[in-house]
Amino acid sequence: METLDIALPQMAILYALCLIPWLLLWLIGLRLSRDLVIGIVRMTIQLSLVGIYLKALFNLNDPWLNGLWILVMLIVADLSILRRAGVKARYFALATFTAIGSSILFSTGYLVALVIQPAHFYEARYVVPLAGMILGNCLQGNVIALERFYSALRKNENEYATFLMLGATRREAVRPYFRDGVKAAINPTLASMATMGVVSLPGMMTGQILGGSEPWLAVKYQIAIMICIFTSSTIATIINLKLSLNIAFNEFDVLKDEVFARR
Amino acid sequence: MSPIIRFDQVTVTALDKIILSNISFALLPGQKAALYGKSGAGKSSVLRTLMGLHAIQSGTVYFQGEPLTSLSVRIIRNCTAYIGQEPVLGAESVREALLLPFQFKAHRHHRPTEAQLMAVLHRLQLPAAILNSKSSRISGGEKQRIALARGLLLDKKVYLLDEVTSALDRESKQAVFEVFSDPQLTVLSVSHDPEWMERCDIVIELETGILNKIERHGNP
Repeated sequence: METLDIALPQMAILYALCLIPWLLLWLIGLRLSRDLVIGIVRMTIQLSLVGIYLKALFNLNDPWLNGLWILVMLIVADLSILRRAGVKARYFALATFTAIGSSILFSTGYLVALVIQPAHFYEARYVVPLAGMILGNCLQGNVIALERFYSALRKNENEYATFLMLGATRREAVRPYFRDGVKAAINPTLASMATMGVVSLPGMMTGQILGGSEPWLAVKYQIAIMICIFTSSTIATIINLKLSLNIAFNEFDVLKDEVFARR
Repeated sequence: MSPIIRFDQVTVTALDKIILSNISFALLPGQKAALYGKSGAGKSSVLRTLMGLHAIQSGTVYFQGEPLTSLSVRIIRNCTAYIGQEPVLGAESVREALLLPFQFKAHRHHRPTEAQLMAVLHRLQLPAAILNSKSSRISGGEKQRIALARGLLLDKKVYLLDEVTSALDRESKQAVFEVFSDPQLTVLSVSHDPEWMERCDIVIELETGILNKIERHGNP
């Protein structure tokens, strides 16, 4: 079964659809034209470049090139997580990179090498999109975890100090905020798994079906990716928060102001 | 006798602002001291500095003769109890709040018995039924006494109190005074309560981070 191409005139019809939300936003007084145009232009350029790059990547199918691409994705994700979480990259970049890098390598490796088992474990067609999907979700989880954890600590500074004064070590004193941060990070994935197929048809599955796959095969891939996203997000947020504990505090267990970006 | 707490020319800055300037005083074991002064004078900062929560720019804080360092701060935190104006109980029920420190590695093996819990509540004029109350439902004065009860259960010998008597009625205040009449307990407090200040051996006036006056009552 072939997927129907969307020709350029049809793409123009597609872009025209954006006029409806633009008009609605304008009518309710939200002047977002500039943001909307930037968003659409950036999406088009970025995805076109990725399309060109992925085509080349799949054709070459070189393990080093695939690895390099994943490395670039990890670096971009790393900086994006830290910027959005409101902490300074100078302090946390290595810890976050270690956390997301190790969890992505583990879960993508597990999925490709043990579950899908292509002819070569580095097969670009599998490794690159799967790592990208897992990383994208991991990114969200890590932003939420870091942001939630450190804002709770700053907000509950007195409670944290009380725990220290009651004999808690740093790790014991941050435990309630740590748990909340991890829970907030994995909750969206858990909720999404619980409603998948009922409330929405997941993107990857839809893509595969549109690409000509059998629905049953698409379902199996969707389950595989969700389990890997959940595993990877959990591992990455826990490692990331744990490593950050050695960076964000001074030797007296007090949060260092200088590690947070000014807002 | 050597001091249990000593501030030696301590200057503390926070966010590029001097909050304590060249502060020196000493407290012998068993002594009670009160810090007073206007809002922003640095009274609470003295307590926070001793707890290792403020970075010292110059000078030294000594506890049991040891300078305050990242290692000795653990000893200070284990030996002292801090009770603030609005104490944080850190647990949903009063019972959980009282038992909270015994979840930590440092106190895991010293969990109090039910009889010990009852005895400490009685000592502070708190009803036994309060154990099952929600922490958010009890008054400020009760919270302060629960925080104090926690210190007593941990057998702390040094108490850092921030306006502890402010929310207490006459009877509860007497119960608290009674606890601190123990000559083994050392107290460094922030207080404007004349009754408490009268009971203190040392009364220190602070003004915009500067030590203005030290008065000594009774034995030096």
